[in-house]
Amino acid sequence: MRAAGVIVAAAILGGAAPAGAQRALTVAPLVSLAEHRVDAGFGVERSLGPIVGAVGTLRVGPRVEWAVRAVGGRLIGSTGVLDRDVGELGVEASVVTVPWLALQAGAARRAYSTKLGRQTWTLVGLGAEARMAFAGDAIHSVWRAALLPAVSASGLRGPETAVRGATGLEYRVRTMTLCVEYSLERYDFPAEAGVRRLEQLSAVTLLLELRLR
Amino acid sequence: MRAVALAAIVVTATISPLAAQGSTAELLGQAHEFYERLEVERALPLLRQIVSPNWPFEVTREQRVEAYKYLGACLTLAGKRDSAVLFFRAAIERDPFTELDPNLFTPAQLATFGEAQRRTFAVAVRSVEPARVDPRTARVRFTIVATHAALVDVKLSAVGAGPPRSLVQSTMDGVREITWDGLLADRRLAPPGRYALAVAGRSRLTGTSDSARVYFDLRHEVAPLEDTLPTLDRGALLPERISPEAARRDVAKGLGVAAAALLIAGAANGDLGGGEREGAVVVAATAAVTGVVAFLVGRRHGAIPQNIVANARRRAERDSANASVRGRNADRIAATVLLVSPAAGEGPGP
Repeated sequence: MRAAGVIVAAAILGGAAPAGAQRALTVAPLVSLAEHRVDAGFGVERSLGPIVGAVGTLRVGPRVEWAVRAVGGRLIGSTGVLDRDVGELGVEASVVTVPWLALQAGAARRAYSTKLGRQTWTLVGLGAEARMAFAGDAIHSVWRAALLPAVSASGLRGPETAVRGATGLEYRVRTMTLCVEYSLERYDFPAEAGVRRLEQLSAVTLLLELRLR
Repeated sequence: MRAVALAAIVVTATISPLAAQGSTAELLGQAHEFYERLEVERALPLLRQIVSPNWPFEVTREQRVEAYKYLGACLTLAGKRDSAVLFFRAAIERDPFTELDPNLFTPAQLATFGEAQRRTFAVAVRSVEPARVDPRTARVRFTIVATHAALVDVKLSAVGAGPPRSLVQSTMDGVREITWDGLLADRRLAPPGRYALAVAGRSRLTGTSDSARVYFDLRHEVAPLEDTLPTLDRGALLPERISPEAARRDVAKGLGVAAAALLIAGAANGDLGGGEREGAVVVAATAAVTGVVAFLVGRRHGAIPQNIVANARRRAERDSANASVRGRNADRIAATVLLVSPAAGEGPGP
């Protein structure tokens, strides 16, 4: 459960790679403050902590871009909640349909571990990213939304609803781009024995994209 | 039936003598053979037949000149010098390039021919031969002649355009070859078109004048030239200043991101107690401030430095590309080859 929240944060961060960028190859280190909330019928459990990682982006054509992301961190549980470590490796493809809109598809593998056990998640997502330039083209606003139609978590039935949303800004300074973004993932699992499990991961992320070539 | 038979007899009687005499070339060949065997009395009638107005076959200019020349030669051998001079003059008048080969003709014939040349004044220019000339390394060649010593002025001009360029202005006697470097009076490469080479001469013996003119076409052979890049229009350049409308839209975009962040955070339903709303507020505030700052900067300064730089780079790239294109084109033009071909209009000058 805790791992799921961290995974969501990592996915959001990974999705922060600008799809409309004209770079051929970029690398973007990131840092995020993620909050994971879970209600499994015993009240809301909250954990919070930093996640760090990087996103590598390769533009293979004028419209297609591949991104690989790797993130990890430790979420500190609130009172009575176990701390957990999280790690994720994901890949995502973007296709620019019109200059301001890209369609995205991706898959990720996440792992949560606490001192009591380990849980792995597999996520497949389909979504879109809209980008609008401010005057001067140095600043872009970003909106992202995705459905996660195939999500599996060890020890759990797949969620009935899994969505991801994000918005933020990109500031381009010479060859660097600084991104700040708020993101949220939500998972509603089917009720079992009258108990409905809910999970949510939100994050504020700072990402610095560096153009390599 | 009787009429048809009579007509056939008449036609046969008419054709037979002509067939026996043969064509101009055959008759000229026979005259040559008689001349070579020194049977001058038998050669003379044949030659006179060729130059006679009553000769029914076509006689080319070269054949007529040849006939006159051999008439002069035969009459010289027959001791009729004055008549020989007349026929030699006839040959020279029709073709000033006419000459006697010292290896084939006697000194007396050469002397008589020289007398004819002195009495006849004519200048001529030989037909232009098709040629492909690189003006950097070669010259266009013309051959002119004056039958005896004369002051000759040779001018070349584009037909109907520009002043003529004087190629030669000197005294000459006989055949002379002159060259042209492909330049006009303004020292520029002659453009494609029709040209005339005019030869005017004044005899230094008789004071008479003569002129001749030959036309030729000039074309340029040059590698295809490249087009320069067109001027960068507004569609090819980025906006260098922020319009008031764009500045106002920046506020809307910033507020849009702020609203979206708060909306997403608010979407975390109450059963989970929100989702890091503080973070959403931070992002929302950042976006709102960004929008307002962008608006204020746009209104106050309006310039878009990165676009100005990008446009300057594009202009510089275009200018550089065009400079390269112009350089390559200049090299190709400098390597222009002149194609010379004869044109109609050869003949005596006005």
